[in-house]
Amino acid sequence: MGKRTGVYICSGCEIGKSINIEKLSQTVTGEQNITVCKNHSSLCSVEGYELISRDIEKEKLDSVVIAACSPRVKTGIFDFPENIICERVNLREQVVWCYEQGEEDTQMAAEDYLRMGIARVKNILISQPYIADDISSDILVVGGGITGITASIEGAKAGYTVHLIEKEKKLGGWSGKLYKQIPYKEPYNKLIEPVVKEKIRNVEDNPDIKIYKSATVSKITGQPGKFEIIIQNGQEQKITVGSIVASMGWKPYDANALTHLGYGKYKNVLTNVEFEELIKEYPEKQLAKSILFIQCAGSRDKDHLPYCSSFCCGTTLKQAKYIRDLSPETSVFIIYKDIRTPGLYEEFYKEVQKDDYLFMTKGEINEIKEKDNKLQISIKNTLLGDDIEITADMVVLATGMTPAGTEDLNLAYRLGKGLPELKYNFSDSHFICFPYETRRTGIYAAGSLRAPMDIPSSMEDAKGAMLKAIQCIEATKRGEAVHPRSGDKTYPSLYLERCTDCKRCTEECPFGAYDETEKGTPLPNPTRCRRCGICLGSCPERIISFSDFSINSVSAMIKSINVPDEFEEKPRILVFVCENDAYPALDMAGRKGLKYSPYVRIIPVRCIGSINNVWISDALSKGFDGILQIGCKPGDDYQCHFIHGSELTETRSENLQETLETMMLEPERIKTEFVEITDYYKITEIINEYVEAIEEIGPNPFKEI
Amino acid sequence: MIDINPDIEFKKEVKRLSNSSLNECIQCGNCSVVCTLAPDDSPFPRKEMIWAGWGMKERLIVNTDIWLCHQCGDCSTHCPRGVKPADVFSAIRQICYRHYARPKFLNTILSKPIWLPVAILIPVIVILSIIFMAGTLQIPEGTVSYSKFFPHAWLNGSFSIIVFTIYGFAISGLIKFWNDLKAHYHDTQPKKGFFRSFLSTINEILLHSKFSSCSAQKSRKTSHLLVFYGFILLLIVTCFAIVATLTHNYPLKFTNPVKIMGNIAGLMLLTGLGIMIINRLFNKKKYGNSNYSDWLLIISFFLLVISGGLVELARFMNWYYAYHLYFFHLVCVWFVVFYLPYAKFGHMLYRTIAIGFAKAIDRQ
Amino acid sequence: MSIPHKKPTLIVGGGISGITTAVEIAEVGKEVILIEQKPYLGGNVIKMNNYFPKLCPPACGLEINFRRIRQNPRIKYYTSTTLLEISGEKNNFSVKLRSAPQYVKDNCTACGKCVEVCPEERPDEFNYNFSKTKAIYFPHEMAFPAKFSIDDRYCKKESCNKCVEVCEYNAIDLSAKEEVFFLEVGSVVFATGWKNYDAGLIENLHYSDFKNVVTNVEFERLIASNGPGKDKLIRPSDNTEPEEIVFVQCAGSRDENYLPYCSAVCCPASLKHALSIQEKYPDSKIKIFYIDLRVSGRNEDFLAKVEENKNIELIKGKVAKIEEVGETKNLIVEAEDVLSGKKIKHEADLVVLATGIVPSDATLNLNKDQNGFLTEIQKEGIHAVSCCKKPMDVSSSVKDATAAALKAIQLTG
Repeated sequence: MGKRTGVYICSGCEIGKSINIEKLSQTVTGEQNITVCKNHSSLCSVEGYELISRDIEKEKLDSVVIAACSPRVKTGIFDFPENIICERVNLREQVVWCYEQGEEDTQMAAEDYLRMGIARVKNILISQPYIADDISSDILVVGGGITGITASIEGAKAGYTVHLIEKEKKLGGWSGKLYKQIPYKEPYNKLIEPVVKEKIRNVEDNPDIKIYKSATVSKITGQPGKFEIIIQNGQEQKITVGSIVASMGWKPYDANALTHLGYGKYKNVLTNVEFEELIKEYPEKQLAKSILFIQCAGSRDKDHLPYCSSFCCGTTLKQAKYIRDLSPETSVFIIYKDIRTPGLYEEFYKEVQKDDYLFMTKGEINEIKEKDNKLQISIKNTLLGDDIEITADMVVLATGMTPAGTEDLNLAYRLGKGLPELKYNFSDSHFICFPYETRRTGIYAAGSLRAPMDIPSSMEDAKGAMLKAIQCIEATKRGEAVHPRSGDKTYPSLYLERCTDCKRCTEECPFGAYDETEKGTPLPNPTRCRRCGICLGSCPERIISFSDFSINSVSAMIKSINVPDEFEEKPRILVFVCENDAYPALDMAGRKGLKYSPYVRIIPVRCIGSINNVWISDALSKGFDGILQIGCKPGDDYQCHFIHGSELTETRSENLQETLETMMLEPERIKTEFVEITDYYKITEIINEYVEAIEEIGPNPFKEI
Repeated sequence: MIDINPDIEFKKEVKRLSNSSLNECIQCGNCSVVCTLAPDDSPFPRKEMIWAGWGMKERLIVNTDIWLCHQCGDCSTHCPRGVKPADVFSAIRQICYRHYARPKFLNTILSKPIWLPVAILIPVIVILSIIFMAGTLQIPEGTVSYSKFFPHAWLNGSFSIIVFTIYGFAISGLIKFWNDLKAHYHDTQPKKGFFRSFLSTINEILLHSKFSSCSAQKSRKTSHLLVFYGFILLLIVTCFAIVATLTHNYPLKFTNPVKIMGNIAGLMLLTGLGIMIINRLFNKKKYGNSNYSDWLLIISFFLLVISGGLVELARFMNWYYAYHLYFFHLVCVWFVVFYLPYAKFGHMLYRTIAIGFAKAIDRQ
Repeated sequence: MSIPHKKPTLIVGGGISGITTAVEIAEVGKEVILIEQKPYLGGNVIKMNNYFPKLCPPACGLEINFRRIRQNPRIKYYTSTTLLEISGEKNNFSVKLRSAPQYVKDNCTACGKCVEVCPEERPDEFNYNFSKTKAIYFPHEMAFPAKFSIDDRYCKKESCNKCVEVCEYNAIDLSAKEEVFFLEVGSVVFATGWKNYDAGLIENLHYSDFKNVVTNVEFERLIASNGPGKDKLIRPSDNTEPEEIVFVQCAGSRDENYLPYCSAVCCPASLKHALSIQEKYPDSKIKIFYIDLRVSGRNEDFLAKVEENKNIELIKGKVAKIEEVGETKNLIVEAEDVLSGKKIKHEADLVVLATGIVPSDATLNLNKDQNGFLTEIQKEGIHAVSCCKKPMDVSSSVKDATAAALKAIQLTG
């Protein structure tokens, strides 16, 4: 269709010195479909902006191509009305700053990038947001422990109706079973009443919080803005909510696995949870003369829980204080690996330590025996300089926490009933910067379901997760994506008539956005979508597209590139880069003046997982000699913001390489590499080495065709 | 493998005497490193801190390292938890005197201010009885001559008997200490002869070499040297005086070299003690906690020197109160000399033995 | 009572917590104003080489956050700006702000011409003064906003004028003055963050005396590929690459003489540094002296990774003494290995002090706890968040900031 496009070329920041602007303009003016093409010495100046704005009005432009600096800078200036498509061609950072001034190759690169920009503009549309009707602003909280209760109260305080579901008869969870709680602010020398007590009253008195006790979720369908929930509590109830906070909490590590510490073997070996219950029930009970705590019982242990549960050191110190407060004659021994009382808890540690009847040492438990109704604990590697044996009346094992699991959410999702888990079954985010990053849009895990944590930390976590739940509803109302492409108004549209039910998209979507008919036809849930485009990359039938990112838009860019024939000895390499990390890395390489081969043409993509094979074949038939895909690190410490985008690309490329071989092409013509955003030295090396390797292999034989 | 059976009373006593919240120790080992006297292998005082925290009395009182410490206070100054290992060591040493005290009550009466009247009353009664027996129990008329009040033979005779008796008891305690050390370190073969070790120990004591390496308190070496040599000098002067009562025309003239030496010794002691008192009073953070036992020793000493000086002056000036002062001086002598092995002053004996032993087993 | 026009939330401090609070509020659909006293956003984290436990660069998450700021019309930000005064009550605060003189205007294209002509140098604060920049400088390559700054303590102003003459965009105004202005806001969030404890105060570790004793935050720059050594880790005394490196945990922390509390981040940070060194220099030898290894939760895996590494030794014992070897400027570090009960004297090329977190200096008179941290609720409508409130790591700060965003939207409705 005929767009009215204006092209603006900036000659500032050395661009004019490095590139022949006149010649560059001619590549455009030769094209009939350009309404207007102008140069300016500084497009980012007020005059530059006015020049473009005037043209938009006068020439009735619907799209502009700005060939100047990186789209990552000057965004505040090049801010045009929403109905104008604005494409930035990165002449400064990725041409002028990284290529030799005035060289033919530099000019060729600039011309190609300008053509690619125009090609893209011609093949994309203004996004029309997807806004569902009857978006619910209610929020479901699953699990009524300290996390769920806090989340509910805070959500209601922000003006949202909250539905709180608890499977037990009583609210409060584990924190409701506490005798006392560790002080989390001054003064540190007194244990406090469990904060959950008052919170339970608040939640029960709050008219904006609907509580369902002895209730379970039997089914969740739908998507953010409109989750349909079936609640089972004697009868079946249906509610609709906009988003969900999952706070099902934790369960103690099964101490039956700790027979080597005497659990199950000797009746006076208890877990910290059992001990807490005992004290809560019988605070008056006469305690034995000596009690020994074993820290990290089944924690920080390859055979049990490999992680640290964060709360046990504090809990043991607290329980030691119970004993000392209640029973002045009882000695308390604590055998630890490290005492972990981070932050201001150090103050509490010091307080408890003051007691004369407290004996602490680092050490490893050798053996626990029972003799004359007493327990004999032998300990090695102590700080006392000797192996020791302690006789105690009772042993308390400081066991850790395991997440309660999320299967109880009963998500009717193609990808499973629960939330995806990261490690050790915690439904945690993998991003340090984004702890609430979720792989099930609109559902946010909070509290010890997400990571081992104590009460104050769970309360903070509850607020954070509740904010994200609220935010998701509001973004959905605006038709915008949530993190990491927050604000993106595009969404995938599927041309289902051509769908072959191959299920690639439904399997590969990292966020479970697609449900599936029995036949296997995808059922999109646009508000679950995070706009990574992995489905677009996965689809062999090429039926998935976004308004500003589609098979055609990228194909057109590829096709617009001028590929010299083999006699010119100027190979062409197509480089797909992830726009989150690799693209900024190239910008910074430019800023640092690092040089790389001018034979590459760079196309940024949402995630390298969104690269569709058809673009590779387009590029090969166009005569490109090699295709390089640069994304974020996969693996255990993945940095791909779309979880497994880069991993998928690696697998897809391996398959493609096999195909290349059947076509008598060298598999090296496709390569996948991974960088971090700060790898600007490395990324230029990767590019240069790849270009060298391709030069060695020789030109793509399809060039002649 | 050792059985743990914490002696909580011991722990409480260490805490009381040291005024240290020793349980707050986090076993970081900072103290062992800042201590310039601690050997590289099993340095102190980190390990002793946990032993004290675990009430391991048996292990601590026979531990040579308790005596290797010269209480410079570097460890306390740098302790991240403010648990004052130096004071804990001092407390353990005091418990050690008590443990080996023969008869026990002599330590008991020196351990708490409440017993002070008893501690004073004993010498008062004993001295009075001796004077009574000598038949001179009245303030003599005329020029002051102390032998009129307390004949030299009676004084020297009775005090010698008391010294030998008390030290006889005390030595039995020291022998027990020695045997306990041997038993405790039975695994460690002495590498040097005990005699050589003691010679080297004496040399070390005479030079005060260990004091120089402490950095927290610079004036400590000076004051301790002054007191130490002042005391030695006084002892010599006293011995000479005892002999002189038999051989010379006693009392000696003021110009007698021995007399001058005695006065110099007194001044040395006074200066040293003065520095100690000022430091303890005004620089608590650095000099650590001063408990009753510390003050008892310093004050007894101080009074001994002051009263000694006054006694001399009184004779010269022919004061009426000369004999009262003399009596008071004798009580001070009793405190410093007879009570010596039972309280803090016992460190002269215990430390010498422990360091000698430590040298023999090559614990440096 | 309904308020006809909702006022924005003011966020003081543009580090990771302030940025997070701002974008999280704005993405709910509310207005925010973010102020930062430095000329760039990103606070302390932008200076870090990487995050534990993933060893990933902070710039990655910040890039996403900067994009969130760029595309969101509800976020206004002011750099080089400080808060002078708050008056009023919740939903109706008036704040007085001061912007440092804007010598370089917003129309700076960051082309870099000015740097070529600038004759003056300044110590590079971004690299903890290990290197120098010109008096007109680009704070660092990731700088957001991407524009130059002038350090007026070093710039000779109009008497030099070289940058003004060379700037094609008329973007430099050396006569610029500071501006004081007022804004109406509904609530205020303090995200003023932290600075590291002044290691010079710990006498026995000789940070001020020995060049090769550096702090952990300085080490972040030393090992960073955009640090003073470029892609190399260099030690300050002679710019050589150290082979024996010692980390001193609890340098001043958990110590009544200095910082009584634990800063919660130094243990994993040192483990991170150790692994980063090993990645760059697999033959290097590293010793970490600690009291307790405090790497809670999932970070335990991170500790396990370090324990597996044969070139990294973890020794329980606090370093109490550091001495310098005269000629080589190497350092002798002394500690008791409390598990073996032996004193260790180890010679190292570089010593890194794991110093703790102390709250940044506040410009206003705010309520503080005994350690100088701000109390969470200053008054209704004024909250403190993350590291100015208590020591915490990045992930917890972000979590706390997200929670603070909820508090803010509750207040402004």
